[in-house]
Amino acid sequence: MTPPPRWFRLLLRLYPKAHREDYGDEILEAAEHQRRQRGIGPMGTVRAVWDIAGGAPGVWIDTMRRGGGMGTTRGWGLDARFVLRSLWGSRGYVATAVVVLACAVAANASVFSYVRGTLLPDVPYSNPDEVLLVWGSNVTEGQLRDVVSGPNFLDLRERSTTLSSVAALHSDAAYLMVDGRPVVLDAQEVSVEFFDVLGVDAHRGRLFEEEDRMSGNGAPVVITHAFWHDHLGGREDVVGLPLDFETDPRTIIGVLPPDFEFIAPAPLFLPAHDDQLAAYARSNIHWNIVARLAPSASLEAANRELAEIMTEISREWAMYEGWTFFAEPLHDITVAAVRPVILALTGTVLLVLLVALVNLATLFRVRAFARGPELGVRSALGAGTASLTRVLLMETVGIAVVGATLGLVATPFILDRVAALVPAWVAIPDSAARVPILSAQLDPAVALTSIGIAVIGSILLSWPTLRSALSGTSLGVRRGGHEGIRGTRLLVGVEVAAATALCIGAGLMLRSTHQLLTTDVGIEAEGLLTMMVGDVWGLDAEGRTAYFEEVVARVEQLPGVESAGMMGYVDFQAEDDYARVYFLDRELQPVRDIREEWRRVDAGLFASVGMRIASGRTFDPDDFQGTPRSAIVNQAFATKHYPDGDAVGQLVSTHNARYRDLRIIGVSVDVRTRGPASVAPPMLYVPLQGDPRGTQGLHVRVQGEPMAFAESVRDAVWSVDPSQPIHWVSPMTQWVSMWVAVPRTARALVSSLAGLAGVLATIGIFGVVAYTVRTRRKEFGVRLALGASPRRLERDQLHAIGPIIVLGLAAGTVIGIAGASAARALLHQVEPTDPLTLGVALTVMGAASLCASLLPARRAGRIDPVEVIHR
Amino acid sequence: MHSAYIKFSNQGALMAPLKPAQQLILLLLAEEPTYGVALLERIDERSGGELRLNAGSLYRMLAALVEDGFVEAIEAPRREGAGAPRKSYGATPVGKRALLAESRRQEAILDAVRALGLSEPGS
Repeated sequence: MTPPPRWFRLLLRLYPKAHREDYGDEILEAAEHQRRQRGIGPMGTVRAVWDIAGGAPGVWIDTMRRGGGMGTTRGWGLDARFVLRSLWGSRGYVATAVVVLACAVAANASVFSYVRGTLLPDVPYSNPDEVLLVWGSNVTEGQLRDVVSGPNFLDLRERSTTLSSVAALHSDAAYLMVDGRPVVLDAQEVSVEFFDVLGVDAHRGRLFEEEDRMSGNGAPVVITHAFWHDHLGGREDVVGLPLDFETDPRTIIGVLPPDFEFIAPAPLFLPAHDDQLAAYARSNIHWNIVARLAPSASLEAANRELAEIMTEISREWAMYEGWTFFAEPLHDITVAAVRPVILALTGTVLLVLLVALVNLATLFRVRAFARGPELGVRSALGAGTASLTRVLLMETVGIAVVGATLGLVATPFILDRVAALVPAWVAIPDSAARVPILSAQLDPAVALTSIGIAVIGSILLSWPTLRSALSGTSLGVRRGGHEGIRGTRLLVGVEVAAATALCIGAGLMLRSTHQLLTTDVGIEAEGLLTMMVGDVWGLDAEGRTAYFEEVVARVEQLPGVESAGMMGYVDFQAEDDYARVYFLDRELQPVRDIREEWRRVDAGLFASVGMRIASGRTFDPDDFQGTPRSAIVNQAFATKHYPDGDAVGQLVSTHNARYRDLRIIGVSVDVRTRGPASVAPPMLYVPLQGDPRGTQGLHVRVQGEPMAFAESVRDAVWSVDPSQPIHWVSPMTQWVSMWVAVPRTARALVSSLAGLAGVLATIGIFGVVAYTVRTRRKEFGVRLALGASPRRLERDQLHAIGPIIVLGLAAGTVIGIAGASAARALLHQVEPTDPLTLGVALTVMGAASLCASLLPARRAGRIDPVEVIHR
Repeated sequence: MHSAYIKFSNQGALMAPLKPAQQLILLLLAEEPTYGVALLERIDERSGGELRLNAGSLYRMLAALVEDGFVEAIEAPRREGAGAPRKSYGATPVGKRALLAESRRQEAILDAVRALGLSEPGS
């Protein structure tokens, strides 16, 4: 018979050596025989591989089970008891290894659960990669991601061929009457295609369809599953149920599936009819656009087409000159907002894991050395290789499982702490939009992976010990102990490098967040209570003004309230309000125009929020009489449009007929309305009484904790008109903190992890020096007996470990700076090479390493030569 | 009936009941010593194709049976022109006793089942 292919023989390597020697040739012969009977094709070869290798796992199990020549169960039981006794005898070692593993697993499981659960949640739409957000964009005006007007949306929907469906949506508030008081609920007004774009089907009833395209066909509302359960008790007859809205009753037509989520979560969805969308002015932009890419189209093709559509629109409507449409995947946007954190956290946690694993490797080496004689005795008494392997494996896996379990038990507590740090929202960069941050729970996949990493990592790290045991002699272990010193010192270098890099990262984050939190945002956020008040769009301008003046007057009478003021929005809420601003010459003729943000404010606003005037004057009571004639601009506006510094006294008009020929009376300091790291947008402030919005942001300056006044302020507002809604009651500090949520979370997590890595590294260095001293006790004893001074021995130890620590510090500095440069987006006004941070981090790590080496090194000098030589 | 599954002693060794494949191998080797490739063919033939072992698994079982002392390896005399000496395997006296004990154990179960009055379908 022709011999089987030579590489078949390699498969025999999968078997234990003894089995291979006894039966290898015969296995090959039998497999070849079977192969020839079945036919020598590719399939025959695959089967032959299985024929040869298929028995290997079973043979290994048999070998283990028969280890030491004992019967099956008894062998395992005896070994397990031996392992328990031996571990109990070295409780310090076990506790250290378990704690190190628990820390590593808890850090990993928390960070990756957080990343998976909150930053990268599964999107409950079909083919989520095809779902795009479409923005209006004008780079020269600094509008990178802007909303779109109703008519522009209709044009876009009609002309686009690369988008299979396009929908408009707009966040709104719905006022539901409960016991005669309006309860404000978030609602989304959406065009009929919205649920089609997301590929969502109704859980009950139906979603918006063709019949809802035009108004006049009833007043339907779609509700979320959570609203159905929490507010309607999950009642079966939900479809067709009326909802008592403040303005008009609506009928529930459908319930969304339980897992439905969108970046702008709301319990209610109302239809935005085509005729209503068409009725909006071309210049009135406030619709977000969500679209689905056609199956055959690419994102690039869609963007080319979108740009062409906007060019066509701008030919007809000159106000859109310089504008374009662009689309980007929804998922990319939400991830972009948090990508720097993901990067920083992933890098950090991997470094912590590295430090922990290196610590474990050191511990296992120390253990191997300590157990050398004992394993030798067991081997001499007849314990087989398999039995020794089994004992060592049981020990390692036992420690790994206990450590990992402890780590996983701690994870939910850590996630709770993280959740407490993070506000409910983070803002999307360069846009007036925000993303909800979901609360994270321990992810089962992450938990399983963590246990897997712990067990496999531990087995791999204890491999040198296992190998020594497998070789069957205690000499191997002894030799390994001595040879291992050099390798172990190298591990110290790795540990110091990782911990130093983390220290630098944490230091930079601390500095950066400190800068962010102490940045002047332009107002005094402390002691300021804010809320959105009223729904008086139905009244004329005078009626609205009178209502809001009365509200402010009543609120200011409350004890503890210093002042109150109204503005169309509350800054920092990620809302914006734009005006077309015309710059006038002396003859009041417009010379140019531009779109800028504006705010309609009342007499008390500037004082209430603590906004300062840089030049000129603030509004006085006369400015709030009759038709508005004055305006204040901020420094950004003044610098942009009046670079010569002569803003005060200039004349501007707006698109709104009630705000014409306004004289600029003062320049206010900039308010960074999109957070401390943002650049303040140019802003025009005008008196509110010309044309106030129907809903206003009420700002109340109080003495003490703002939320303690929430109830009394609410009552004062309702004392004017109990039917008026109040919502988003919140201290101003909370709105501001929304913008620093990401760096704050990153700071907290990176600092904790860096602290953990520092402690682990210090323990590691201590362990290695202690181990070195222990392995060389005899040598030190002899040297002391021959007259060496204890100080000399200590110095030798420090000399041996010192260069490694210095190398570690240097490598760590390089890694830290490189990592910080990669996550530069998280750093605010701090360079990755910030000398102060580098200096502090290196001093801390250097000092910790020195202390950790010094303590065990002193033991070398205290060895009793007589005792050691005698032993 | 349950007692039939309790481990029983044979020559002082603690044993579990033989697995069906082990029992068949032991039976075939008790009938006639044979070498590996031929044993594979006989297993296939006697089980009516029901039991198909791969080579690796066959030698795992043979090794276990040898370890238990139920089977012994017999070095066959080297034939002229042939390659490595071929080993054949035969059941030892202990193996034959274990086979008998296992068969009795199964017989006891069969008796207990018959006592329930169960019969083959159609009989």
